[in-house]
Amino acid sequence: MANMAVSRIKREFKEVLRSEEIAQCSIKLELVNDCFTELRGEIAGPPDTPYEFGTFLLEIHVPETYPFNPPKVKFLTKIWHPNISSVTGAICLDILKDNWAAAMTLRTVLLSLQALLASPEPDDPQDAVVASQYKENFEMFCRTAKHWTNSYAKGPHKFPDFDTKIQRLKDMGVSEFDARAALSRHNWDLNRATEQLFS
Amino acid sequence: MDSEDEIGIDSGNSSDDEDYDFMQVDEIQRQSGNAQDPVEYPFEVLTTEEIVKHMLDCIAEVNNVVEIPATTTRILLNHFRWDKEKLMERYYDGDQEALFKAAHVINPYVKPKRESKTFRCSMMEDCDICFLKYQYTNMTGLQCGHRFCKSCWVEYLTTKIMEEGLCKSIACAAHGCDILVDDVTVMSLLTEPRVKTKYQQLITNSFVECNRLLRWCPSADCSYAVKVQYVDARPVTCKCGHVFCFECGEQWHDPVQCRLLRKWIKKCDDDSETSNWIAANTKECPKCNVTIEKDGGCNHMVCKNQHCKHDFCWVCLGSWEPHGSSWYNCNRYDEDEARAARDAQEKLRSSLARYLHYYNRYMNHMQSLKFEHKLYSSVKLKMEEMQQHNMSWIEVQFLKKAVDILCQCRQTLMCTYVFAYYLKKNNQSMIFEDNQKDLESATEKLSEYLERDITSENLADIKQKVQDKYRYCEKRRKVLLDHVHEGYDKDWWEYVE
Repeated sequence: MANMAVSRIKREFKEVLRSEEIAQCSIKLELVNDCFTELRGEIAGPPDTPYEFGTFLLEIHVPETYPFNPPKVKFLTKIWHPNISSVTGAICLDILKDNWAAAMTLRTVLLSLQALLASPEPDDPQDAVVASQYKENFEMFCRTAKHWTNSYAKGPHKFPDFDTKIQRLKDMGVSEFDARAALSRHNWDLNRATEQLFS
Repeated sequence: MDSEDEIGIDSGNSSDDEDYDFMQVDEIQRQSGNAQDPVEYPFEVLTTEEIVKHMLDCIAEVNNVVEIPATTTRILLNHFRWDKEKLMERYYDGDQEALFKAAHVINPYVKPKRESKTFRCSMMEDCDICFLKYQYTNMTGLQCGHRFCKSCWVEYLTTKIMEEGLCKSIACAAHGCDILVDDVTVMSLLTEPRVKTKYQQLITNSFVECNRLLRWCPSADCSYAVKVQYVDARPVTCKCGHVFCFECGEQWHDPVQCRLLRKWIKKCDDDSETSNWIAANTKECPKCNVTIEKDGGCNHMVCKNQHCKHDFCWVCLGSWEPHGSSWYNCNRYDEDEARAARDAQEKLRSSLARYLHYYNRYMNHMQSLKFEHKLYSSVKLKMEEMQQHNMSWIEVQFLKKAVDILCQCRQTLMCTYVFAYYLKKNNQSMIFEDNQKDLESATEKLSEYLERDITSENLADIKQKVQDKYRYCEKRRKVLLDHVHEGYDKDWWEYVE
């Protein structure tokens, strides 16, 4: 790995450790291997959003040409958000693509992702289904996002009606994630979700 | 109006060559009279070096008037797509500050506040990219004040140039700063020759692509660009021999206009044979819309789609029920909907037939044109053979000339089918079609003569025939084009679109 990338990451580490966000436990960064190419990030769901009290893990891959090319980041924790794929965790965010600047750091990336959770951009979606739900049925979106936060990111809000429906599908032999995804996609309409899963 | 150049011909001796050139000039002059109007269309073919020079001239010219650094001028010119007049107009009429902001440069009249930094000269500075400390002199930046160490700058520029292929739109590396890096800074920072060369290529390319009065020759592996004085749909001939329309960059396409040609090319790309076949030979079940091909049997259809099983009549597409119990008699039942469905199908079928009629003829001429290089080499052999039959070099030139004319005629004919496809029928369009028919049959005859074997016995005869025919073709081609141009002037042509 290129020398500059390594020395950058080493210094960025110090920056993150010193930062006040660490003190507030809102972001975290740790190494996965010794060669500084794979990192694990963690962000807290921002307050007053469906993601509040959740903890989201991120996979960060630092390319050889870092910091001249952006790091590759995706969500490891499943999340229901218009700009993040509910299946793969891929993120649609300008600073991770064309608007990356060499003077940005992993700390700014983590903070930007936190900001993205607080203010989604449904007109520039990564997950079109989530985005249309966000625009057409905002309340349903919030409930669904809270439910996902509870199921995958240790969020506190439980939705017994959702759990019952998931259980119904699980009884039919569907995996929990597939059941949750299908129901979320169809505004928790059990019939339509079943139809999609078995057609 | 194709190939005034000498493709595949070995010039015999120099004096004849001059004669030949003279003849060519003559021909060009005569042909320019054939063009849309008698006014000449001046153009220049530029090499890459000449393009760079032209670019520097443009900058110098503007700098004579507005006294700002050449680097800033270049960015401003690029912002205005190298339209000098527009730049000057905006520069003197409007808000200069807004102009500089829109072009992403710092106003060069505003002196950067460097005073506060002078005392730092001896101090160390942090580079925001590599996070290392450097002497003040090892750091650099643009007028925007964001400073990074030189090696980070080099890395940054190299990534932008080599990986992203950017040249004119490289902004400062600071987050959210859109001030553009000028070419002098780039060239002074870069060290690797490979990157420098690539950068200059990109600059030249973007200059040509931004500049309305320049166009790269579209033929493969040609590095020339053509420069004109005003944009028009006119033929220009590159030094590589390729003749193309300056306005749209397609091969020269008289008599059809750029707009219709573009539409046609798009149509040809979109309308695959398959989708057309499906449209013309199948019908959709009126209930479930599944596509059905009928390959036999009676007209009482029962949809095979298990969820549908709709009974309907293949002829009128109406429900089968009212068709009576025993005999098929579709006339009795003529629901409006069924009639509309039938009409639509009918229309589709005849429009496909019409399209294919023009498309096949268009493609046919295009294919024949592709064989032109083969024909040139076989004609070259024939010419050598004839020279062995005691004919002089000049006497056998008629053969090459015949191939030139043949190609021109095919090119024109090809485009006439595009023109005809969009043409609405009227008296003038019928005259046009007659002209087209006449030119086509003469062209085919000429092509046939050129295929024939030449022996010493039939040589004189063939020469006479070929010459007569190509003169006739040339004349008919001119008549056809003049007629179309006259129609453009007098608004004869109506289009179906």
